[in-house]
Amino acid sequence: MADYIWINYSRPRPHWYEESQESRDALEAKWSEIAAASREKGGEPLGRYHIRGQSDFKSVEIWRFGSAEEAFDHWTRLTGAAFGQWFAFSNNIGLRENAG
Amino acid sequence: MTLLTEETEVFSAADGSRCCVIFLAKRQPGLSGEALRQTWSTIETVLQRFAGEGWQLSISNMVDPAIPDVPTAYETGAGHDVDIAGVFEAPSISAAVAGTVALEAAGWDRLFATEWLIGPREFAPVKSTDATLTRDWGFLALWEWNDAWSAATPEERREYDLECDVAFAFDVASGVNIAGRHRLDLASRWHHLGFWEAQSFEVVDAAMREHERVADFKFTTSRHYLGRRRPLAELIGASHG
Repeated sequence: MADYIWINYSRPRPHWYEESQESRDALEAKWSEIAAASREKGGEPLGRYHIRGQSDFKSVEIWRFGSAEEAFDHWTRLTGAAFGQWFAFSNNIGLRENAG
Repeated sequence: MTLLTEETEVFSAADGSRCCVIFLAKRQPGLSGEALRQTWSTIETVLQRFAGEGWQLSISNMVDPAIPDVPTAYETGAGHDVDIAGVFEAPSISAAVAGTVALEAAGWDRLFATEWLIGPREFAPVKSTDATLTRDWGFLALWEWNDAWSAATPEERREYDLECDVAFAFDVASGVNIAGRHRLDLASRWHHLGFWEAQSFEVVDAAMREHERVADFKFTTSRHYLGRRRPLAELIGASHG
């Protein structure tokens, strides 16, 4: 049972907009590979939604994980691939109500 | 532990997967007398269970495990929009999340409206060499690498780390104990926690002037809390009795 929800709000940092399309595509491809690896490990992505009109951020992405450590593993692989250097973020983690 | 940035002269990587539990809490009115005593007793039982499971409940014990681990918080109401702040350390990330749920369920939520922040330990504690000082002040720094840091070159970041290390060495020479560094980016907008115990307001103020002098804040955006140390038992009793 995936008892942990993990929520990632993000928006591009200013220098993202100056980066070439080729470079941006390469970075996004790398982050997509990381997401695919997290799915292989049992993480369950619930989707990414556009929230620019109602938020300080541009997107919100939501995942379910089996443990807080699995969420952290996913996130550290993303930050290891420079995600946080191109996107400002605000994250949260939650344990299912009535879990355990 | 995966480091967000590299070790420095002052800070070295920590082993294991321990996880901080920060509480930034506003008092809630309502409980008094026997109901208050009962609520604190239930919370205290949970904290005693935590201690048996490997939690640490004070920075003094994190820095020096020989010092008795009295559950501790800091009174921050004089200068901040929260009345108390503090940091525990859980044995794992999952234990930290479950711990916040257990404390709220034990009645913490009747006493305080709380922002909980959690994050794994990244750097080991840094202990000042002066063991004679009484450190009655706590300083919490939440910070993020800002857009300027993100756009900087690796060389610019290395130079910046060296400059900041001068300030951190100044802090420790001033008598400050530093609980190390914890990552907060898993579950907040912040990247790190810096948590200190210091002997006076003036020492922290002088330290911040030094961090300003070395341009620490050109690459970081931070929020700071400064408060007076009180045992949690005394603080809850005093504030709600």
